[in-house]
Amino acid sequence: MDKLERLLNLAAALLNADRPLTADDLRDRIGGYPEAKATFRRAFERDKEDLRAMGLPIRVENVPGADPPIDGYRMRRADYTDAELRLEPDELAALHLATNLVRLDGVSDGIRKLGGSTGEAADEVANVPFDDALAVMIAATADRRAVTFTYNDVPRTVEPWRLSFSRGHWYLTGWDQIRDAERLYRVDRIAGSVKLGDAATRDVGEINDPSDLRGWELGDGEPVRARVRVDAVQAAHARHLLGSVEELPDGGVVVELDVRNPEAFRSFVLSFLDHAEVLEPPELRQSMIDWLEACR
Amino acid sequence: MSVKLTAKERMARLLAVIPWVVEQDGAPLDEISERFDYPRAQLVADLTEVVLFVGVYPFTPDSLIEVDITDDKVEIRYADWFSQPLRLTPEEGARLLTAGRSVLTLSEGDTDNAASALLRALTKLGMALGDGADQAVDVRLGDAPDAILDTLRKSVASGTQVALDYYTYGRDELTSRRVDPARIFSDHGNWYLHGFCHRAEAERVFRVDRIRDAHPTDDAIVHVLEGGGGSFTPSGDDPRIRLRLPADAAWVVEHYPTETAIVADDGSIDVTMAVTAVPWLERLLLRLGPTTEIIEAPLPLDANLVSAAAERTLRRYQR
Repeated sequence: MDKLERLLNLAAALLNADRPLTADDLRDRIGGYPEAKATFRRAFERDKEDLRAMGLPIRVENVPGADPPIDGYRMRRADYTDAELRLEPDELAALHLATNLVRLDGVSDGIRKLGGSTGEAADEVANVPFDDALAVMIAATADRRAVTFTYNDVPRTVEPWRLSFSRGHWYLTGWDQIRDAERLYRVDRIAGSVKLGDAATRDVGEINDPSDLRGWELGDGEPVRARVRVDAVQAAHARHLLGSVEELPDGGVVVELDVRNPEAFRSFVLSFLDHAEVLEPPELRQSMIDWLEACR
Repeated sequence: MSVKLTAKERMARLLAVIPWVVEQDGAPLDEISERFDYPRAQLVADLTEVVLFVGVYPFTPDSLIEVDITDDKVEIRYADWFSQPLRLTPEEGARLLTAGRSVLTLSEGDTDNAASALLRALTKLGMALGDGADQAVDVRLGDAPDAILDTLRKSVASGTQVALDYYTYGRDELTSRRVDPARIFSDHGNWYLHGFCHRAEAERVFRVDRIRDAHPTDDAIVHVLEGGGGSFTPSGDDPRIRLRLPADAAWVVEHYPTETAIVADDGSIDVTMAVTAVPWLERLLLRLGPTTEIIEAPLPLDANLVSAAAERTLRRYQR
């Protein structure tokens, strides 16, 4: 039997079940599985994972009367479909058009479930990087659940408040339960996977817009005010990014930055090559000199 | 261009196709194929050779799905278990919400029908996802000045040339140029203009936040460009540099157009990338610092370019 047929029959059997069915029950009812117990078990587990990945809500329940307890499986029709979420044709068309305009990896599965693409195509206007960890965090934010992940080598449990995409990076704003404080994270610095946690315990707080924050402002500890001189050739660029604090007679400009992350600050200043110079404070100036000497 | 679908992909499609066909009271094969991105031959084979045999124990005829294809029209009956669409996973919902919200930022203030239909779709989607959906995601496609974006958009729409003052970051110079604008797009948080540059006499992609000034003109465009305009396309003539990056500089591979990247046992990464302009490379290497090693820098690149750039920059601090 073709794997597709087996998967469809498995889904039908689970939806049709009026009681939890054991793996052996399912093998007998569906057919198409290997005979040997171990290979059957592997195939069955893989099928179950495949169905779950598509979003089929397979429940695991104890089989009544079994001693020792044994796992049984079924799906409830009420869990299978979302009767509330039905889009009108113009709504589906608009959403489909949106997924054409903005490219996000893996967006077409959802459109298909809602009724498929509607033929209206459009040139892509934007490409936004996206991955599973972001999808999990956005879903958790919407459902007011906590998430767990590792950041800067430290395990975190965070109640997410908002995911923001700005200047090419995704940021997570939320409440760090362990540190008992609001925190901002760069999503691409999260190591490994993001797991869904328990329900959130506090209301969403006032969100500081992370698009106003820059890499050098992301860090723990008190900020240090730095002054940087930028030459005339790049002054317009610096003014555009930071706003000027002092205009110099030669067309150059002095800008100020609040630095919490010295490495990111160094990277930023070096993006001006020899057209910028750290003026203050002395320790950031010295650390730039040390870095450049090491590069020599 | 149709790629062979896996059993999982066909399953996911069928679970969407079946309720849709049932609700429509039958639908043409071509429309199903197009709507659900399901190659027609595969669709026919799956409906007639697989779905027809799907049912529940003991698989008597009355427990099987009925599929009828007459004159290229598909009808499906008795598909009880699959007659309703499968619900979105929260992650699928999050993706749709993000795409939709991103587009709303483009059409802010727009009250046309498409924008209002999108808003209604997102409201329904938000309700399905949970109370926090309203502010769960915020997307900024770029932070170029509105006035410049506006001038560029109008020029694209009217098919007229635009005069730019452009700062070339890679080469570190400010230039004025006439451009036939073709398309404006956002990639990884920056707005770009794709067009034909009269000064370079070639297609170019400009970062909108580096356009210092843009003036509309009455001159019609001379070159019409077809599609394209990726944000960065190295030319075959650009020299290639080979670097060995330490493990903690893996972000370079994601953020720069590397052509090959081989990870060694110790986590260090051997990358090859095209060098379009020397200042661009100097910036990257100075930022990476002494733990990155140049393995190969063929002429016209200079293997000592990092130390030279460091030396030049250091001089500022020695005055």
